[in-house]
Amino acid sequence: MNNVFAVAGIVIKEMYRRKDFYVLLILTVLITGVMGSVTFFNDDKIVRYLKELCLLLIWISSLVIAITTIARQMPSERENRTIFPLLAKPISRGELLIGKFLGCWLACGIALVCFYSFFAAITVSREHHFYFLNYFQAATLHWFMLGILIGMALLGSLVFAAPSSNATICFVVATAILLVGRHLNQVALSMRGGQQAFIYGLYYAIPHLEIFDVRDLIIHNWSIIAWPYYGAAVLYALIYGAFFVAGACLLFRRKALN
Amino acid sequence: MNAVLKIENLRVEYRSKEVGQRTKLAVNGLTLSVSRGEVFGFLGPNGAGKTTTMNVLLGFVNATSGTARIFGVDVRETIARQRLGYLPELTYYYKFLTAEELLRFYAKLFRIPKAEREARIDSVLKLVELEAARKRPIKTYSKGMQQRVGLAQALINNPDLLILDEPTSGLDPIGRMKVREIIQRLKGEGRTVFFSSHELGEVETVCDRVAILHQGELKVEGSVDDLIHQHQCNLEQLFLKVIGYRAV
Amino acid sequence: MRSTKAPLLLLVLLFILCFSLAAWLDPRSLARRQQRSTDVLGVLMGDSRKMFANHFFVKADAYFHSGFYPTIFDNRESFQTPHMAGDAGAMKDENQGEETAFMGKPRDFIERFNRHFIPATHTHLDQGGAEGSKAGADLGESPAGGVREILPWLQLSAELDPNRIETYMVTSYWLRKRMGKVNEAEEFLRAGLRANPGDSALLFELGRLYHENRQNDERARNLWELGAHHLQQGKPPLADSDKFMLSNLSLSLARLEESHGNLAEAINWLEVFKPVSPYPSQVQTQIDDLRDRLGEPAPQAEHEAPAH
Repeated sequence: MNNVFAVAGIVIKEMYRRKDFYVLLILTVLITGVMGSVTFFNDDKIVRYLKELCLLLIWISSLVIAITTIARQMPSERENRTIFPLLAKPISRGELLIGKFLGCWLACGIALVCFYSFFAAITVSREHHFYFLNYFQAATLHWFMLGILIGMALLGSLVFAAPSSNATICFVVATAILLVGRHLNQVALSMRGGQQAFIYGLYYAIPHLEIFDVRDLIIHNWSIIAWPYYGAAVLYALIYGAFFVAGACLLFRRKALN
Repeated sequence: MNAVLKIENLRVEYRSKEVGQRTKLAVNGLTLSVSRGEVFGFLGPNGAGKTTTMNVLLGFVNATSGTARIFGVDVRETIARQRLGYLPELTYYYKFLTAEELLRFYAKLFRIPKAEREARIDSVLKLVELEAARKRPIKTYSKGMQQRVGLAQALINNPDLLILDEPTSGLDPIGRMKVREIIQRLKGEGRTVFFSSHELGEVETVCDRVAILHQGELKVEGSVDDLIHQHQCNLEQLFLKVIGYRAV
Repeated sequence: MRSTKAPLLLLVLLFILCFSLAAWLDPRSLARRQQRSTDVLGVLMGDSRKMFANHFFVKADAYFHSGFYPTIFDNRESFQTPHMAGDAGAMKDENQGEETAFMGKPRDFIERFNRHFIPATHTHLDQGGAEGSKAGADLGESPAGGVREILPWLQLSAELDPNRIETYMVTSYWLRKRMGKVNEAEEFLRAGLRANPGDSALLFELGRLYHENRQNDERARNLWELGAHHLQQGKPPLADSDKFMLSNLSLSLARLEESHGNLAEAINWLEVFKPVSPYPSQVQTQIDDLRDRLGEPAPQAEHEAPAH
């Protein structure tokens, strides 16, 4: 694990020395701040629209940070040839990939802490109440969802040569799953034969990222998710994340570097 | 003989990108051995298979057949690289890191204990004369400084075997001289150096033994003195003769 | 040696030409700009803003349900008319079926699992909102206070499509009835009337505001009469929505006149109400009652069967 943490440390350093994260955080703060300054019908207690907007910006920012960071890791290692002195050290290819995954995931976790702290501050300033457990569940489920996505993008970065194409595909897939993943079984019901089997297959095979999107629950102050279900969702994310990382390791294991 | 590096019947084929050709033979039946304390020059024209051989030694490329061992360990094993230092040709390092951070990262990969780690970083930075710039991001370094960072990272684990891929390429005469001094110093410390170069004069000066590779096959191997004596010519003339160069 | 004056003169000539052209075009384009809407949203989004306006109107209803809302994939029969609009009397309620069961039974284990992560209980904000919500209690508010959360989306919807009458109606209803913001409701309705001059529905709602919140029956009567007048002047046959509004206006006027003892006027308005009412026979009974109280003999009125 020593090597894994060493690589992860480099990924975290890289993320916080680039401007992407700061730009997105400042944009989120600015847009939310501007929208928060608007008063509707002289009522300053209206908060849910602001929560929704802030969470939407957080989600978009986190997807951008996670996908773009992990998608460029391996291609830039190869393009800049930094992979050669790195793999000439006693580190296995699997350790390198796991380190990249862990680094990006932890970095996203730190980013989420910043974003959700701002969100909590905004909410508390309007609602005068802090729903710690609700926010904890929402933030951690969000983070575990990013784990699946990071694993997927890491695998993609070994399949697609250009980071931009990998990032675009990951964005499209993630957005599609978040929007219609939950309803694919209903779509399948309206079809027949092979098409139906294909859509059903897709429904069972895709990682259901939408499970982790509990924004509605915290926007509207619903009660917390029962802990066994929360735990099951976390386990689901870990299994899917591990599946993608294992796939990436298998693919990279015998790949010639020249 | 105490072989630090041993290659036997190495054959490397690539999938060819040319039309009508499925595979391309990069190295064919290479057998080579480098002993402890030797400075070994690995020569050949561009495309001879030098870098491919080095890539096999470092585990970047898998051999089609044959074996390669470092300190008696198969090169595919991660542990084979524990006592090895490698300087690639024209490599860029993580630009967002400082030299110090980069060396600390590599030192961690070698599991050098924390107390020793900082002492090693100080010592290699002193050796490559980058002490003053140690806290500057690598992106602000000149090309020569970047090459010296490369050398520093290759030496961070105090390696017993150093593999250098054209270490002086792109350096000014002073930089080349410094690299040559470092190689001779390592030789003096009893370390093994395996390096490729196109600077035949330099090779003649620092190497104990050389091998000349052409079209993936080993053409000549031996000590520099023996080869010069045997062929009655200097290393450059021998090289041209081996690769079949005819002046127009 | 070539003259250096020629390019310079050419440049000056081009400059004069450009300046003249700009001076000639500017007043014309200004006139055209003034003819068009100066609304930035209108310029940027064109007619697509109506689509967005509808989206935000529906979003307000989703907020009214604390996020428990059908998607395009679900059975929307019980959500044909937004509940917030139905409750406000701004739209005719056309909902059918059980509103708590639009999702149906889970079809598989993934769907069953999924439902633990989405709002899964039917609630209305004016009745306390999301189950388990402590916001209202913590803030020491009445449960109805939560309704304020639908307002930003309604305002956005009105800005995107100022001709969407339901938006003003719904907003005004919740503002004045549940939040006590009568001034804001009136201001919003007047903004709606500026965008839709003489609209009967807006006049009706404004009349209700004067009648119910300001107890100014005189102004309420004037507004309602104006609204009814506009509808009665419209070309027959009336659209369903106009019939619905005429029934609201005539009935409200009848009640108002009755409460002021103007029974003859009340009978007149009930006569207007009868043909647009779904239960004309019941309306006739009320007319007969009023005639009795007035001492007028009831005409040989034909008792119609209820319209279906």
